[in-house]
Amino acid sequence: MLDLLVIGAGLAGLSAALTAAEAGLNVRVIAKGLGALHWSAGTIDVLGYLPPSDAPAEQPLEQITELGQAHPYALCGAENVRAALAWFQSLIAEEGLSYIAAAGEANAWLPSPAGARRPAYLVPAAQFAGALDRPDPMLIVGLLGMRDFYPALIAENLGKQGVSARAQFISVSEITDRRDANTIHLAQAFEQPHRRRRFAEALARLVRPGERIGLPAILGLDDHAAVLSELQSVAGAPVFEIPTLPPSVPGARLYRALRSRLRRYGVRIEAGMEAINFAADGRLIRWVETETSARPLRHHAAAYLLATGGILGGGFSSDAAGRLWEVVFDLPLSAPPDRNQWFRSEFLDPRGQPIFQAGVEVDSGYRPVDATGQPVYDNLWAAGGLLAHADPLRERSLEGLSIAAGRGAALALTRSAARQPAHT
Amino acid sequence: MHGISWQSVDHTLDACIKCNICTTYCPVAAVTDLFPGPKYAGPQAQRFRENGQPISPDHAVDYCSGCRVCNEVCPTGVRIAEMNARARAQIAATEGIPLRNRLLGRNELLGMAGSFAPRLANFGLHNPVSRLLAEKVMGIAREAPLPRWSVDGTFGDWMRSTRRARLKSNKKVVYYHGCATMYYEPFVGQAAVAVLEHNGYEVIVPPQNCCGLPMLSNGEFPAAEAYHRRNTARLSSYARAGIPIVGTSTSCTLTLKEEAPELLDLHDDAVHTLRMGVWDLFEWLQEQHDQGELRTDFRPIELTVPYHAPCQQRAHRVGKPALALLNLIPGIDVRESHAACCGIAGTYGYKTEKYRIAMDVGAELFDFVHAQGPHIAFSACDSETCRWQMEHGTGIPSRHPVEFLAAAYGLYDLERRSLVSPP
Repeated sequence: MLDLLVIGAGLAGLSAALTAAEAGLNVRVIAKGLGALHWSAGTIDVLGYLPPSDAPAEQPLEQITELGQAHPYALCGAENVRAALAWFQSLIAEEGLSYIAAAGEANAWLPSPAGARRPAYLVPAAQFAGALDRPDPMLIVGLLGMRDFYPALIAENLGKQGVSARAQFISVSEITDRRDANTIHLAQAFEQPHRRRRFAEALARLVRPGERIGLPAILGLDDHAAVLSELQSVAGAPVFEIPTLPPSVPGARLYRALRSRLRRYGVRIEAGMEAINFAADGRLIRWVETETSARPLRHHAAAYLLATGGILGGGFSSDAAGRLWEVVFDLPLSAPPDRNQWFRSEFLDPRGQPIFQAGVEVDSGYRPVDATGQPVYDNLWAAGGLLAHADPLRERSLEGLSIAAGRGAALALTRSAARQPAHT
Repeated sequence: MHGISWQSVDHTLDACIKCNICTTYCPVAAVTDLFPGPKYAGPQAQRFRENGQPISPDHAVDYCSGCRVCNEVCPTGVRIAEMNARARAQIAATEGIPLRNRLLGRNELLGMAGSFAPRLANFGLHNPVSRLLAEKVMGIAREAPLPRWSVDGTFGDWMRSTRRARLKSNKKVVYYHGCATMYYEPFVGQAAVAVLEHNGYEVIVPPQNCCGLPMLSNGEFPAAEAYHRRNTARLSSYARAGIPIVGTSTSCTLTLKEEAPELLDLHDDAVHTLRMGVWDLFEWLQEQHDQGELRTDFRPIELTVPYHAPCQQRAHRVGKPALALLNLIPGIDVRESHAACCGIAGTYGYKTEKYRIAMDVGAELFDFVHAQGPHIAFSACDSETCRWQMEHGTGIPSRHPVEFLAAAYGLYDLERRSLVSPP
């Protein structure tokens, strides 16, 4: 029997699975599909803003305490957040992905795909040279023929914010002969040495001395470090990636690195397995069933960890009658009972929309609780975007919260498993 | 609407958030831009197909191999592969079906015809002149790994001739052999029967048809429906009686369970009963093992075996039971392939215009097999066309996992692919 079944293959689920596997637990990850990380910019955002204020958070690790006692970060504890991030940074480096934090634990400010300022805490090495507080001017290079990346728009917006930037194009045909290529195809095209060389030489012709070069985040998938290093040496300038619309290559790299780490521990990620049913004896979950081509498949585990995300991640569903529910265990949610209270009248209300702060309430050991604060099940833990009282997209806290809570929940359940032997 | 139903697909269309994860993992779009990717050919183009619009907006959907990796990775549950299969059927219904695709859809008929004189049929098909002709006239790729008819009789012949030796028992299973086992690889069926009997089961092999998958893949839905209705009539009574129906061809069992009912919109009781009674053989063996009822008196097999769970097996969404069960054999070192697809996708890679694509898709798998060491005797895979493609792409023989189990029970010779008499 499994020690732990993790439901959800986003950053929270994978961080939890890795933490438990490191502790020697026999773990399986199931997921309806692959998600979350493939939509992310690949950065680890810990805290960018403190709503309802528009003021940026400059010291995310210190300022998470300002989010209040109900926020899941308070549950993690600032020191555990710092430790979880250090753990993540070191393991991901071992998988060949280097992440850098700005000096003094400050947020780095990077260009978004629209040229806006975007805060991030741990930054992929390939994005780090895009920091907006550096003085050197930028050359933003787009690929003519690639969809959804507009260097002139980025350069103009950066210019309005006082960052010196100009835009240029290189034909997409320098790197691929495909008539139609998405970001992943382009990233794979950069792994062909001769095409990459040609592209690097085209860059060298465009760049002026003292400039740094911003490119769409398509610089290789598996061989990313080599691509980046060759472009920089041939062009003779620092090169940085700017995230794109999905599919996000930096996000895919992160997913692949975590997957390869998990495989080394013998942990399987089963995609295409949607949890549709479960059974419990009192407060003990006995099994979870997933949908298959015919009969449901039953998964037995001593412990279960729910990391299915919030509304966007698919962890919650709702209907027109005003019901909001958690899709696997139908856990109590903190949503306003009246659907009319889900949204404020202003779309961009600085206090955010109540429905997006709704979620699963957990106790100090990350176990979902009912209205009286009692654990709903003794062998169920929860982590990530589904936790109540956070507004990760507005706070820019999604990745930090996922890693810290994912690891925290797995450590809590590991301690609990050590106290009482696995139920059979 | 030419009888193409969009039921079950249409509901999932609105769940598409255009995130492109399907395109990211699509093994075909990765190697050719003749197929723009599942999102474009599927949910995006679908807007132009439904609601009585008679003409599919593009023909790129013909380059979808139907491997279902898109479904596997989609985070919102869009039935992309089904959407594409129905779009192909819509094209077939409006524009007709090329002779080649009709022929490739009829592997049961081909199997039966060739089996009258298998040596002659093998010579007739497998010589350079006819392969050249087949390529020029029919568009069937010269190099494609077409199977050879069994020259030792069909699986049916073997069942008949060994009738008296077959185990009688209160514990019964129905075996669905599929066309490949019947006409090309009867030894896979023999290994399955040996394994089932070793576990105390009487194996019933009732009359049965092709599952219809080759027709579904080639857009020939009406003919596939006739097959599925006949299979339902012949097999559902066993399911109703609680006798499990197990199959060694993982794409056939998937078709009986899900693809035929869903694509053809067949939802009556008998179809549903059959669906719930069908198991992929290893799915069922795993269930036996979980109940502590699988015999594990395995002899060691000292081999390193690269195992590829084919797309159609993964599409069952039951994990990889063959991997777990092969690992019970002492001495065996099973290496799991993480390649998305071997490329062949049933009849896809046989087609001249798709042969190269199929080989490029399979390259990752072929490289994986080679990377497992210089002395790999066999690879393993649950699907016959994938095994033929893997052999073609690597030059290394491939076996069904049940052949390994039978060998580990001491009942089967992996090299010669024949049963051995128990000591």
